Amino acid sequence: MLEVRDLQVAFGAVAPLSGVSFSLAKGETLGIVGESGSGKSLTAMSVMGLLPLSGGRITAGSIMFDGQELTTLAEPAYRKLRGGRLGMITQNPMTSLDPLQKIGPQVDDVSRLHLGKTAAEARARTVEILGTLRIPEPALICDRYPHQMSGGMKQRIVIAMALAADPDLLVADEPTTALDVTVQAQIIRLLDDLVKERDLALVLITHDMSVVAQTCDKVVVMYAGRAVERGPVQAIFDAPQHPYTQALIGCIPKGLSEDEHLIGIPGTVPTVLNYPKGCPFHPRCDRAQEICTTERPAFVHNGDSAAACHFAGSAP
Amino acid sequence: MTNLLEVRNLSKQFTSSGGPFRRARAMHAVNDVSFDLPKGRVIGVVGESGCGKSTLARLILRLIEPTAGTLHFDGEDLRAKSPAQMRGLRARMQMVFQDPYSAIDPRYTLQRAVMEPFVVQGRKTIGSEADEVAALLEMVGLNPGLASSFPHQISGGQKQRVGIARALALRPSLLVLDEPTASLDVSVQAQIISLLEQLRDDLGLTYLFISHDLSLVRYFCDEILVMYLGRVVEALPDTELAARHPYTKTLMDSTFAPDPKQRRVIAPLEGEVPSPFDLPPGCAFADRCPQATDICRSETPELAERGGHPVACHHPI
Repeated sequence: MLEVRDLQVAFGAVAPLSGVSFSLAKGETLGIVGESGSGKSLTAMSVMGLLPLSGGRITAGSIMFDGQELTTLAEPAYRKLRGGRLGMITQNPMTSLDPLQKIGPQVDDVSRLHLGKTAAEARARTVEILGTLRIPEPALICDRYPHQMSGGMKQRIVIAMALAADPDLLVADEPTTALDVTVQAQIIRLLDDLVKERDLALVLITHDMSVVAQTCDKVVVMYAGRAVERGPVQAIFDAPQHPYTQALIGCIPKGLSEDEHLIGIPGTVPTVLNYPKGCPFHPRCDRAQEICTTERPAFVHNGDSAAACHFAGSAP
Repeated sequence: MTNLLEVRNLSKQFTSSGGPFRRARAMHAVNDVSFDLPKGRVIGVVGESGCGKSTLARLILRLIEPTAGTLHFDGEDLRAKSPAQMRGLRARMQMVFQDPYSAIDPRYTLQRAVMEPFVVQGRKTIGSEADEVAALLEMVGLNPGLASSFPHQISGGQKQRVGIARALALRPSLLVLDEPTASLDVSVQAQIISLLEQLRDDLGLTYLFISHDLSLVRYFCDEILVMYLGRVVEALPDTELAARHPYTKTLMDSTFAPDPKQRRVIAPLEGEVPSPFDLPPGCAFADRCPQATDICRSETPELAERGGHPVACHHPI
């Protein structure tokens, strides 16, 4: 459904994103995981064709969506696709809805624009979708304003808008970061059901490895604008090859054992202006050697998964 | 073990005044909360947004006035203190706020921000004691060279470290941590938590740790208070105890294990926290509770030891 090859993005002379590849089939969930500033949202924006808005452009690589090349697509054609077959769920439901418009019209607009429905048909469809998202009394909700609803409810409305035009691919950028844990569990479960029921392809962007563990089929771990490890979720968690992946998993409190110790990852993600030479992770890596500071590691393949580390495969 | 903090029947009621088209309404943000915090312990307060955990934190430092109840800090009755006396006492009880982006004045250098508690307490003048600031920054793992930077030049995690350094400046014995990691990445969260662990051991601090993340609270704290709509519904004296209140169980079931093998079909709690205004009689959780019966909708369960630790439920698990 979606195939991204060696994607490179530049803003003027700086290239915050390079060499990102992944693929995704119908009914599959792909997790893109990494810290803030690792290029996850930029990847999402590239797929959605939203880069020009922030002054970026794709300088190399390809994005194939259902056999169609997106990197060369003209904006009018992109506009038909985006919000239609390409749905997006943004991070902050508080700012994704128009505060001055009622819920109903906001969701109606999507199917009127993309599916050519009449006002009455669109409203019927809206009510039906809100119902499938387990929103109580959907017909009444249509007459409410966003400020009258809780954060979890607003996120469901945003999901409803993404679903209104019957998309094939859904990109969810940190859909639960702003929500409480119980509501996070509801939303994640909902997305999971949608993928299965509608045979959607879902790209889930998150910084939380436990969300990945619970929902995704495949994972791409990103660091400093590059994919550093990718593979099926079980393999990544069973035997993470890249030290960064190992560190991300180590950041989650697992349980109650006394000797468990959270250490975090020392240091911070480099900004795009000072991406380190060699392996981008080497300044924060406790296994870094001479070679890591000079040579960029190539992907080492191991079954279905691959890691860009000089010492992949020799992990302790 | 002596108690550093004793909280008894603490309540806070907010009222919204009525208008021509609206009647006056009252909400109990914190309702009859009691607990002891022994020296050197870490108590976690956990619950969803709107359960009153941040209000509780502010009440304990008397940043807002309680409606009822008593507060004793190190044997002193906090509610009997004048504002000036309270200000002196707050040197020994400090707070770290949730959002490091708004907790530091953007026009202050980090040096000035960390000096602020001394200025407030009238102990030092601005510009003196650069060594002190350097020592504090170093204590929280920041390069003292950052002292002349402004908040916008550093990352969120570094800002939260500044918030902690500022809270530690006056050598307090109690730190109230109001979701100190909620706006941070998991990797930075782990750094901050391990910093807090190390500071607790080095300085003998006592923490009240407020969070909505039960797995983090179970990792970090010695005891847990679970709050729902202003009330403590379960008090776990040990983090390894199994939940007995259906709400605590739901919270535990909502946390994700970082292991795809333990992927479970979470049966999430339907609905959301109801409006705290004009609560119906009975247990506040009854509407969302799978085990609710008639008594739950008519009588509010008291927090009582029903075979084991205290739980406020008519039908504990």
